[in-house]
Amino acid sequence: MSLQAWVRRTRVPEPASVRREIAVVEPADLLDVEAKDDPEASPVLCCTGESAGAAAFSALWLKRIAGSGRYAAAVSVRGQGNTPAAPGGVEARAHDLVQAAIGLPRQAVLVGHGAGAAWAALAAARYPAAALVLVAPHKLPKQPPKPVGDPKVLLAVDESDAQSKEAQAITDAYGVAPLTFPGVSGDVFTGPGAEGLLDTILSWLGRRD
Amino acid sequence: MQEYSSQAAYDRGEAVCVIGAGAAGLIAVKNLRENGFEVDCYERDTVLGGLWNPENQHSPLYPNTHLVTSRSQTEIPDFPMPDDWPDYPSASQMLDYLKRYASHFGLAEHIWYGSEISHVEPVEGSRFEVVVKPAAGSAARRLRYGAVIIATGHHWVPNLPSYPGQDGFRGTVLHSSQLKDGSRLRGKSVLVVGGGNSGIDIACEAAVNAAECVHSVRRGYWYLPKYLGGEPADYALARLRRRPSWLRGFLTDRLLKGHRELSARMGMEAPDHRHTDEEPIRNGRYLEHVGDGSIRRRPDVARFDGGEVAFTDGTTVRPDVVVLATGYKPKIACCPPGLLGVEGDSAHPKLLARMFSPRVETLAVAGLVEPGVGTLPIVHWQTHAISHWLHIRKGDPERAANFRQQVVSESAQYAVDSTGISPRHQLAVDAEEYLAGLGRIIDTLEQEPVK
Ligand SMILES: Cc1cc2nc3c(=O)[nH]c(=O)nc-3n(C[C@H](O)[C@H](O)[C@H](O)COP(=O)(O)OP(=O)(O)OC[C@H]3O[C@@H](n4cnc5c(N)ncnc54)[C@H](O)[C@@H]3O)c2cc1C
Ligand SMILES: NC(=O)c1ccc[n+]([C@@H]2O[C@H](COP(=O)([O-])OP(=O)(O)OC[C@H]3O[C@@H](n4cnc5c(N)ncnc54)[C@H](OP(=O)(O)O)[C@@H]3O)[C@@H](O)[C@H]2O)c1
Repeated sequence: MSLQAWVRRTRVPEPASVRREIAVVEPADLLDVEAKDDPEASPVLCCTGESAGAAAFSALWLKRIAGSGRYAAAVSVRGQGNTPAAPGGVEARAHDLVQAAIGLPRQAVLVGHGAGAAWAALAAARYPAAALVLVAPHKLPKQPPKPVGDPKVLLAVDESDAQSKEAQAITDAYGVAPLTFPGVSGDVFTGPGAEGLLDTILSWLGRRD
Repeated sequence: MQEYSSQAAYDRGEAVCVIGAGAAGLIAVKNLRENGFEVDCYERDTVLGGLWNPENQHSPLYPNTHLVTSRSQTEIPDFPMPDDWPDYPSASQMLDYLKRYASHFGLAEHIWYGSEISHVEPVEGSRFEVVVKPAAGSAARRLRYGAVIIATGHHWVPNLPSYPGQDGFRGTVLHSSQLKDGSRLRGKSVLVVGGGNSGIDIACEAAVNAAECVHSVRRGYWYLPKYLGGEPADYALARLRRRPSWLRGFLTDRLLKGHRELSARMGMEAPDHRHTDEEPIRNGRYLEHVGDGSIRRRPDVARFDGGEVAFTDGTTVRPDVVVLATGYKPKIACCPPGLLGVEGDSAHPKLLARMFSPRVETLAVAGLVEPGVGTLPIVHWQTHAISHWLHIRKGDPERAANFRQQVVSESAQYAVDSTGISPRHQLAVDAEEYLAGLGRIIDTLEQEPVK
């Protein structure tokens, strides 16, 4: 975030505080798998634009992320899941995401899906994410703000969307080549396609570069 | 230096040395790490958090310390405080916040506790040799670094006035930083000297706990409450900065008028400066305590006389306890004064843009300002700039030289207009101007060079 953007933000009202629903699975919670807890690995915080919020990640994502040794969390922003609705547009949702991130034990990876990718992109301009992952992003600002702390960025899009104008604009803005995954964006949460996508993301996160 | 020269210095290459693990030191470590630097942070105490940690041996916290700046104006820009915290968090919340910041960004592993830096000295051009003061019985350690950031704070050495007859005074005299425990005031006759935020807070504490409270103040100040116009006062005032300047003056006056008139009605001297030139008083209870007589105001102290204290208006009191809330002297003992611009006619540090040494490019100080607004954001942007600067000075000498020129010209811009003579006024900056200057500096550092 630029200094100027921060100054502007300190001079407008802060979004109303809400009690946010946060779902967490830690590697130690997984009794059935022999998951190794990697204290060095960054926690992962997920959000989606879909109205289920955090619950969308409960079936597969959180367990699988925790299975890779990472602290896994998902947040419902205002109006999603069990988080009460409250005024505020995308800025307030980005605020919810940042507030969830600062509550995690260590610097977190932000994963945003659909419209949630736009909130994650805004949040990453305020909070130095360990990495930023945009899955099937939707309604991202044309010129997304520069992330702070220079995190690595992963863009994952549905095969059929790979050539879309939106995907192209994001590719240009972050200077990263998109990773494509098969299937419609609806099954990013369950099924074999989702597992494949998730494993690709996790191995990208684990890569040192 | 002789005593150390028998042992070779350990060379830490391009790593950066940060001195102090208070708020400023922690923010420096985080921003340097983010820019790829190796960092060693030395803290003389055994805990982090600096003055916000009551376990720090010399912490100046007094009973019931709360922030005087509101949460949104105080939090670190890229790591906000939890938004369900109150508008004005307590000192223990502030400490909790700094601890969370340190663990969130993994800073603890870079901090060496119980390690006071006794000396820093430039070597090999722009590198530094740093001496860690020995613990009893062991030898001093010397290390070499690519750069040094001093973040030792400036609230450690009390600024103590002395008055005629003070030696023979029969009551207790202590500095505000020694108060610690409010029970020392209970049931006593208390005199508080000094009209800064410490003096005002302690007078209010005495107003409810002591048998009697007299408050001696030598100049006129801005007495602001913690809320103005239904909002935290600093936020309400900062928000007006978004208005066009012709309207801003009018709206600001309107916000401040009530309290100005009230303090005038109570016979207080009008301030001789604008509210942005000095840290204003931020305490809504003070005027009420003056209004209900539980704080009695007096001018400057003239002399002590046995059990009595006489003021310049001829009145006297017989206090059991005198609390001197007369501020602090900024002191950076580990650094040769010349490196900080203390030389010739200047008895105070003269840093470029209030952070860079005028003599060595790789020496900077974080947090040596009294901005009259939240300090942590200022330190964040300072150390952001310093980290970027250390980055580009290696790679691009031409750009570095241009940048240097800009910093020198910026340095003239944020002077304040104040008649105050105590040490704090030397560190005061106009926060609005200073932040704008930091913004320009950062823009220059982040711009791709034109080729
Ligand atoms: C009573 C009081 C209330 C305040 N309230 C507010 C407020 O409401 N809002 C606000 O924004 N600001 C407030 N401030 C200003 C405060 O200075 C800043 O908030 C901030 O804490 C400053 O942090 P720092 O790291 O610069 O200094 P410090 O907290 O003083 O930390 C300096 C650290 O350096 C260490 N150190 C010193 N010398 C050496 C050495 N030679 N070698 C190794 N280590 C060393 C010290 O032990 C200490 O841990 C207040 C100050 C005081 C005194
Ligand atoms: N709750 C909080 O968050 C809080 C509380 C306290 C302090 N603080 C901060 O901590 C810092 C230090 O505050 P402080 O109040 O301890 O010190 P300060 O701001 O330096 O104020 C010292 C006061 O003592 C007066 N003084 C100095 N020397 C004197 C003398 N010889 N005789 C009579 N009066 C004398 C000064 O008068 P002049 O007007 O002449 O300078 C000033 O009024 C400030 O940044 C302050 O904002 C914050």
